Amino acid sequence: MTTLIINNKKFELDLQGHETLLEVLRDHLGMTGTKTACEEAECGACTVIINGKAVLSCITLACDVEGEEITTIEGLADGDNLHLIQQAFLDKGAVQCGFCIPGMILSSKALLDTNLKPTKEEIIYALDGHICRCSGYQKIIEAVEHAGELINKSKE
Amino acid sequence: MLLHPFTLYRPETLKEALNLFSSLEDAQILAGGTFLINRLKVLRKKGLKTPRNIISLRKIQEINGITEDKNTIHIGAMTTISEIYGSAILKESLSVLPCACKNLGTTTIRNMATLGGNLTCRYTWTEMPCVLSALDAKLTFQGKDLQKEVIPVNEFFKAQAKTDKILTHISLRKEKNTKAIYKRIPKRAEVDIPLLAVCMKAEKDKKIFKKTRVAINNTTQFVQRDTALEDFLNSTKLEKNTAKDCLKHLTAEIYDTKSDDYKKHIFRVTIKNMVQELMESQ
Repeated sequence: MTTLIINNKKFELDLQGHETLLEVLRDHLGMTGTKTACEEAECGACTVIINGKAVLSCITLACDVEGEEITTIEGLADGDNLHLIQQAFLDKGAVQCGFCIPGMILSSKALLDTNLKPTKEEIIYALDGHICRCSGYQKIIEAVEHAGELINKSKE
Repeated sequence: MLLHPFTLYRPETLKEALNLFSSLEDAQILAGGTFLINRLKVLRKKGLKTPRNIISLRKIQEINGITEDKNTIHIGAMTTISEIYGSAILKESLSVLPCACKNLGTTTIRNMATLGGNLTCRYTWTEMPCVLSALDAKLTFQGKDLQKEVIPVNEFFKAQAKTDKILTHISLRKEKNTKAIYKRIPKRAEVDIPLLAVCMKAEKDKKIFKKTRVAINNTTQFVQRDTALEDFLNSTKLEKNTAKDCLKHLTAEIYDTKSDDYKKHIFRVTIKNMVQELMESQ
């Protein structure tokens, strides 16, 4: 059995070595917030956070991250209360079709966890692995800036 | 299912990994996964054979991280590109290496890709070999007997790939009086793989360059040093026209890779600008 720690919960799973984390999240655990898109590390839709770093679950073997801290989009909200980054994306109208947004939000979280006042350049750099086919990048950047402000305020 | 079934091994020590590597048939090493996992997907899609055993080095602490002694910096093969980009040790002593890591792939790729993987995948267009060649990096491999074999990075790319040893460390001499520059020309977006890249290093002593290194990544062949250009720069008094004159001393076959005129032109412009920048920087 393989023990995965996802969103602070332990999951005991009967996995095979070749299964990617993306497949395990979606097919074994029903966590479909992590999106399947290019499946070749190009688009960022499958991004999750492992040990504080935004990484791609389509090229991560699930068994290889046994025991490590995995965060998916499902781990952000607290019941019906959205995470402040999710709220900021809504406030700024950053979501169009929404398919790229879970990955965008997780990369934003990895950035804001270490830097609550990123510059525009730092945000673009942190999100450079994400493709939004609705091309709504400007609103997304504004949302990340706004999220930093919201988190800062919440700490006052 | 994205991948053909295989057995995944996760050794915790280098010795354990080397034993597995020598005893398992049809085994491949997994570092960051950014090349290998994608390649396995492509092989599966094409109906081609994929390895039966994969040995992940992820848990092996002894080949991870950046350390230094008096004159040398040692980078574990499993150190990620993000870790190199953020390394205070490297920014202090060999800043060209973190600079070169800045735009390698995307943030998510940099968080996964390792320096060892970037070298041992042996794709011609990867970026680290060019920088490491200019910095005279040495690669340490270990086999089952744990004996170390140290190879200069340029020799590594001239020889056949090692199939029985694991790259453990990359060692670099600290450079105190030298200046190094890395330039990459991407195809379109900044995150693209480069069309070409050049790393140049020199020590400027009054009006001459010493110990100049010019490493060229033409992306169709493994990294090459332009020794004719290096010799010219090492033997010429630096003057107003040196950056322009040096273009007469390029080794043509390195740049003439049946590529279009645009690429050849960009090489010349890049080299001229880099020599000028080196002349003005110290």
